[in-house]
Amino acid sequence: MALIKVRELRLDIPKEAKNLAERMLSDLEKSKRPYLEAVKTSLDNSNYNAKVGYLTPGDKIVRTELNVSSVQKLARVVFMLEILLRNLDIGAVNTKRELYYICKGLIKGDGRYKPLDFDDQDESDSIIDFIGDMLEVYREELNCYANDRGGQTYSQQLVVTETLPDGDKANVDLSTLGTTPFQPKNRPQSLKLKAKKKIDFCLVVESEGTAGTLQSMGFTKRNNCILMGAQGVPSNGVRGWCKLIENQLDVPMYFFGDLDAYTMQNIFRTLKAGSAASLIRNGDFSAPNVRFLGVLPGDVKKYDLPHYKVKESDPAEARQLKKAKDALENDPFFRDKKNKELSDILRWLIKEKIRCEQQSYFSVDPKDPIKTEKIILEKIKRGDYV
Amino acid sequence: MSKITKSSTAEYFAKNLQQVGFSSPLKAVLTTLKEAVDNSLDACEGAEILPELEIEVKKVGVGSTKNTDLIRIVVEDNGPGIDGDDLAKVFGEYLASSKFGRGQCSRGQQGIGISAATTWAQMTNAKGVQVISKTKNMRKAISAQVDVDIKTNTGILRNKETLEWKKNNGTRVEFLMDGRIQMNGDGGLLTYIEGTVLVNPHLTVTYKLGDTDKGKIERVSNETPDIPEATLPHPHTFKLGEFITHSHLYGKISLSKFLKTGFSRISDQSIKDFVKHGMPKGLVDKNLGSMSEEDFKKAFQAVQATELMAPSTKSVLTVGEDALAKSIERLGQVDFLSVVTRKPTICDFKPVVVEVALARFIDRGSEGEPVQLLRFANRVPLQFDKSGCAITWAIESVNWKSYGLGQPKESLPQGPYVFAVSIVSPFIKFKNASKETIDASDELVEEIRRALMQAGQKLSRHIKHEMKEADLERKLAHIEQFGPILVEKLVTISGANASRKKKAEEGLRKILGRDSDEAVNQLEEAQTKLAAQKQKEAKKMGSAADEAGKGS
Repeated sequence: MALIKVRELRLDIPKEAKNLAERMLSDLEKSKRPYLEAVKTSLDNSNYNAKVGYLTPGDKIVRTELNVSSVQKLARVVFMLEILLRNLDIGAVNTKRELYYICKGLIKGDGRYKPLDFDDQDESDSIIDFIGDMLEVYREELNCYANDRGGQTYSQQLVVTETLPDGDKANVDLSTLGTTPFQPKNRPQSLKLKAKKKIDFCLVVESEGTAGTLQSMGFTKRNNCILMGAQGVPSNGVRGWCKLIENQLDVPMYFFGDLDAYTMQNIFRTLKAGSAASLIRNGDFSAPNVRFLGVLPGDVKKYDLPHYKVKESDPAEARQLKKAKDALENDPFFRDKKNKELSDILRWLIKEKIRCEQQSYFSVDPKDPIKTEKIILEKIKRGDYV
Repeated sequence: MSKITKSSTAEYFAKNLQQVGFSSPLKAVLTTLKEAVDNSLDACEGAEILPELEIEVKKVGVGSTKNTDLIRIVVEDNGPGIDGDDLAKVFGEYLASSKFGRGQCSRGQQGIGISAATTWAQMTNAKGVQVISKTKNMRKAISAQVDVDIKTNTGILRNKETLEWKKNNGTRVEFLMDGRIQMNGDGGLLTYIEGTVLVNPHLTVTYKLGDTDKGKIERVSNETPDIPEATLPHPHTFKLGEFITHSHLYGKISLSKFLKTGFSRISDQSIKDFVKHGMPKGLVDKNLGSMSEEDFKKAFQAVQATELMAPSTKSVLTVGEDALAKSIERLGQVDFLSVVTRKPTICDFKPVVVEVALARFIDRGSEGEPVQLLRFANRVPLQFDKSGCAITWAIESVNWKSYGLGQPKESLPQGPYVFAVSIVSPFIKFKNASKETIDASDELVEEIRRALMQAGQKLSRHIKHEMKEADLERKLAHIEQFGPILVEKLVTISGANASRKKKAEEGLRKILGRDSDEAVNQLEEAQTKLAAQKQKEAKKMGSAADEAGKGS
């Protein structure tokens, strides 16, 4: 499997890059067109197998062969590759935006590089992504890290041990942090987890704000659990963190978010099975055991939750319906029979044309500040999730 | 209960001038000019005279209403002239028209416009229109002031006198009214003159607008357009109310006779079909005068339920591709152009013909701006409420990017182009009485869209040629710029030596050299295609020039 190969390759990125450059150079010497190949990272090249649990790449590749049109891209790729190799060599890390400016600096310093200049960050980002897909390595393995967004975690039982680059270890007991959440890093692989006491479940809440409210009202005091805010579409950090919790602690994990196509596909599916854009690293960045706790279609009726009609006349809202239909037709995750209960939710959304937000639980008993917590616990107890 | 009073047509319009194009001082001036020019052109065409117009619009003082100027608008033509007896009717009476509802593609249709202009002048400057007119049969010209008697909807002649006039035949109208002058932009006078010139290749016009210098545009065709015979309306275009009103024009005849003479495409067989589709047999020979509303409804429903032949398309006229192509060159220095005249067709049971001229100019417009859109209905420029018009909708629905033009989402394409779209039909459906926008039916929008796409394809050959040229230039530059960097970095990463570097550079040049040869070939191919099209166009223009030569 490709991912295992990536793991094996991991330490050999400089060597792999050197081989690649060697091959291209020797093609040029023979007046042969050198080419670069990368995994095609799109939904139409994604496979899903419930036993594997996440989206994996198919056979399609993107091949860039040298010609007058592609010479710019190829020159940019090797230019950026050299920067990344140097970073690996000296142990420097950067964000994509910083790399964009590093390129600008180098180009400014040498007039010959002027034609390579990037007009905006999208252009340099796509080159970085291409390099990652081409070498089948994570962006993080090229020492390029994204901002740590989302994943703020609260728990009275969890202890995290981090191995620092210099070999030192840092122990973080989450129960000692007071109201401050633990912020998982974008390289969760360097963390070790331990439970001081048996942890019953992990709850991932789509809205950061609602996770904060649950915490303030004593959710983690009353329950032996891990409470986490996803902050919308889960970042690599959140996804890797959830994977780590799943691997090391073996606690049931539930996701609580809005009832609409966007949450189902972009947020929940990404958390559970990864995304098409990150096909080569979904193995380490998805939590296949997470369950969808709500808002479930049944909850809308049962708790008489306020909801909205999806107006087909409004293009932005109509896109939601189209999204649900697209997901049913093209997303291998929702097409898999094992996920029928999840795809049934999409079908229900298309049929009923409504959407319902996670915060609507607060309407059930407006005078009880912990009613939402009670419903969540009740649902977990009853096994009312998908 | 309050007293119910009946007001005259003139009273109604006098109170509602905004409905017929007099909603602002700017529009008042433009609408007056437009109505006067329409009348002149229609009259010339009717008499098969090549029109020669002299136009003057000038600020002569301060207007009586706040924030307005006193404007003089003069339009003089070489048309057939108007008989003294008709002057009052033409300029001072509403709905007095030789064209109302007769199904011809004339510019004017109802007989509202010029009387409304007279009313506006009268209301703002206490004087109607000053007219001089002479027909061939008159020894001297008549000069008079025409006012509208609003209470009775009749025209009144004042200060009538005869005089010696320089012209053998023609009409000169002069309005003094409150208004304001706008020269450029969608609602500008110059835009109006250019538009009128464009769709009237046979027009010569001298104009003096505001403080600008006198301009003259010569005709490029010596043919007066052949106005096709009038056509009767098709029954499927009617609503019940219109159907009943239409019947009143025919007096006391039988229903079947009314259907056969009042509409097109109804034969004896159709009458039988109507009966099959639910028209009571007793109605066929019933006199219109004795029919109840219920009877009309039954007959009308049966007519609508029956399939009828589509209306004839013979009643429409076109400017023609060659004439349009020559005419558009009068607007400036044309870089290249593309004209399309569609075959007449039926939209919503009405005969329609769509013509499109797209031209790129060297001396007007710019890359980042939207194209200049000129809309025409029956050869009259439409200058207001662009966004609601069928023509605008059709343009925005075309993907101009595929023809090489820039186009922001759901808007007009961009560039130094003039897009002229003309729709001719004896029954154009406007959104309002001031004839500013064409009502957008799906069928009509689709027909316009097709014309635009055809023209777009022709245009794209010119643009593609340019793009191929730029492409080649870019590719050649790419090789020079990026090739050395690629090799240099590959050498650094692989740790190769100088001799390998040199060899790789040679290899690179070979590969990319092949590519640039290919780009050169592509450019040549595009050049050949364009040359072929240009030759075709030149041939067309040549034949048009021949015809024009014959005519003179």
